[in-house]
Amino acid sequence: MRDMIVVNNLGKRFRRYLADRPKRLKDVFIRGVSRLKPIDYFWALRNVSFTVAPGLAVGIVGHNGSGKSTLLNLVGDVLQPDEGQVEVHGRMSALLSLGAGFHPDLTGREIVFVNGVITGFTRQEIKRKFDSIIDFAELEEFVESPIRTYSTGMRMRLAFAIAIHMEPEILLIDEVLAVGDAAFRQKCIDRINQFKKEGRTILIVSHTSDQIQKLCDEVIWLQHGQVVERGDPEETILRYLADMNKNPAARPGTSSGLAPLPPSGQAQSQAARNRPHSSKLKLVEVRLLDQNAAPISEINSGDPLNVEIEYLVSEPVKKPIFRVAISREDNVLCYATTTVAAGLSISSATGPGKIRLQLDRLDLNGGQYYVDVGIHEHNWSYAYDYHWRLYPLSVRSHTNGRGILHLPHNWVLNDRSTADAGDSDMNEALQ
Amino acid sequence: MNLPLSLGQSRYWIYQRDLLYELVSRNIKIRYKGSILGILWSLIYSVAQARVFGFLFRSGLGDGIPNFPAYVFIGILVWTWIQSALTAGSESITSSSDLIRKPGFPAIILPAVTVATSLIDFLIALPVLLAFLIYGGTPLTSLLLLVPFLLAVQFLFTLSLVYILATFQVTFRDTKHIVTVVLRLGFFLTPIFYDAARMIPEHYQWLYRLNPIVHLLEVYRAIILLGELPDPMSMFILCGLTAILLPFGYKLFVNAKYRFLEEL
Repeated sequence: MRDMIVVNNLGKRFRRYLADRPKRLKDVFIRGVSRLKPIDYFWALRNVSFTVAPGLAVGIVGHNGSGKSTLLNLVGDVLQPDEGQVEVHGRMSALLSLGAGFHPDLTGREIVFVNGVITGFTRQEIKRKFDSIIDFAELEEFVESPIRTYSTGMRMRLAFAIAIHMEPEILLIDEVLAVGDAAFRQKCIDRINQFKKEGRTILIVSHTSDQIQKLCDEVIWLQHGQVVERGDPEETILRYLADMNKNPAARPGTSSGLAPLPPSGQAQSQAARNRPHSSKLKLVEVRLLDQNAAPISEINSGDPLNVEIEYLVSEPVKKPIFRVAISREDNVLCYATTTVAAGLSISSATGPGKIRLQLDRLDLNGGQYYVDVGIHEHNWSYAYDYHWRLYPLSVRSHTNGRGILHLPHNWVLNDRSTADAGDSDMNEALQ
Repeated sequence: MNLPLSLGQSRYWIYQRDLLYELVSRNIKIRYKGSILGILWSLIYSVAQARVFGFLFRSGLGDGIPNFPAYVFIGILVWTWIQSALTAGSESITSSSDLIRKPGFPAIILPAVTVATSLIDFLIALPVLLAFLIYGGTPLTSLLLLVPFLLAVQFLFTLSLVYILATFQVTFRDTKHIVTVVLRLGFFLTPIFYDAARMIPEHYQWLYRLNPIVHLLEVYRAIILLGELPDPMSMFILCGLTAILLPFGYKLFVNAKYRFLEEL
């Protein structure tokens, strides 16, 4: 069968202009035509070749700025390549630029028609699918209300519902599944899975890997505009994550050089169990313990926590670094610490080993957290092993503060008249 | 690669028509949502403007022009269409970056959408024009059947200018302001509320008549007011100019199409 998407030696070059490039004709007259010319070029994408067979779902992962969106725009024929070609064989639709044509004063019904034709339907087709679209978006009662009264989630649902009714042979998706509530997201994923079963071809771009892992048959990993590798989703994503982990400082958009950015999403078991990248050094077991060395998965805010790590060294390695991170359910990194930060230099002989991190107080707000553990090469260039999202920890706190931390606190009132009343509260807080 | 359109030619044209229809009606709806008189506002504006000019100049500029109110009304209708199409049209790309980003969306339709949106105002005013004619005692001739043809010529002529302006606006964001200034000037350099033959000195006529809209107005007025066939020379200039500008503007637009996303 013929491939649905053929990308051959694709390259896209963007122009860089002078910062004071004229933006008005007036400026051209004042400063001259020469400033209109680009000062140099950079390749956002180069030497990229791949094909996608019918019925396959292919994911594209990569850091910000790796060329993912450029690639999708080239496949969607919104940008023109400077090198190579893209061939697309089949009716294509894109879950890109979803809210196009939305205007706050239009009603839901009007939006379905406007956005529908923009998406590629004829009016006749929209009329036929109208009920099904509204049904999918769960907006029956709001059809005649102007969408300025809709919440962001409702607008996204509507936009997605329209796009998903396009029934294309090729579907392009760009991060859009990150929106909406969990239930609707699941509905979208179900629908995309159904698309796959119907033999349609899907190309997904994302920097969050859990969706890609769930949906894709193959993954292409892009870096600096080039394909690093293409392969089995699970393995490729593991290597991609390990790479992010090993070279975090190079990642745009992170201030802390040490925080790895694991994929977001629900807890995963098998898929997220990063296999040892090397057989040299391996995590054997990680236990979360309370002060009496009893295993726990629940803790009171402010209680101590011990993280016990058992590992196995098969080949001697030079000064490995152990890292423990605590992140909230939604991937907000709360705390990360390493053995280097503590000035600890671990010499590891072959054989099993054990190391324990003692946290005297875990002053986190109530909620669901994960403890992530990794062992890295002495210069951070390599992750020997990495367990991500395998160790859930739920934290209970009695008072409901906001934010990540639950700091030991009390309120001190200096107002004499109410001092008595305040006392009991203060005592309570001090307990 | 025309994404949703590969189902054959007939669907392609149905799709283009529906797209034009929906985008124009979106523009109209947005413009008049929440106003009591809705779309009639643009008509009221044109009529008021025509009445003001007709009243001010009924003696003087209007001397010797049969049915002067209708004469002015035609001028204002034709001019308003061009003016609103060019001002809105020069922004038709820069104000629609969300559509430009959409794979498969034919950006080439956006200039046509703005020209068509302004045409709606013109069409709504046509019955009023008829009233002006009847009230002013102008006989209605079968030549009025040529008006749709003139609309088509004006549509294409305006469209070719919008292609050029919209493309320019992407790189030079002051294009729209220049257009506004030129149109403000053009309003007085076009015989909207006066008779060019009498007001412009003989030896400046050639210069004055370089303005294609002068010819356009003459053609409209010949057919509607005088019940005569238009001057062939004026017809030739209009059609010839459109035949040159339209492919040029179209080509300019299509060549720049891929640059839009990079510059928006």
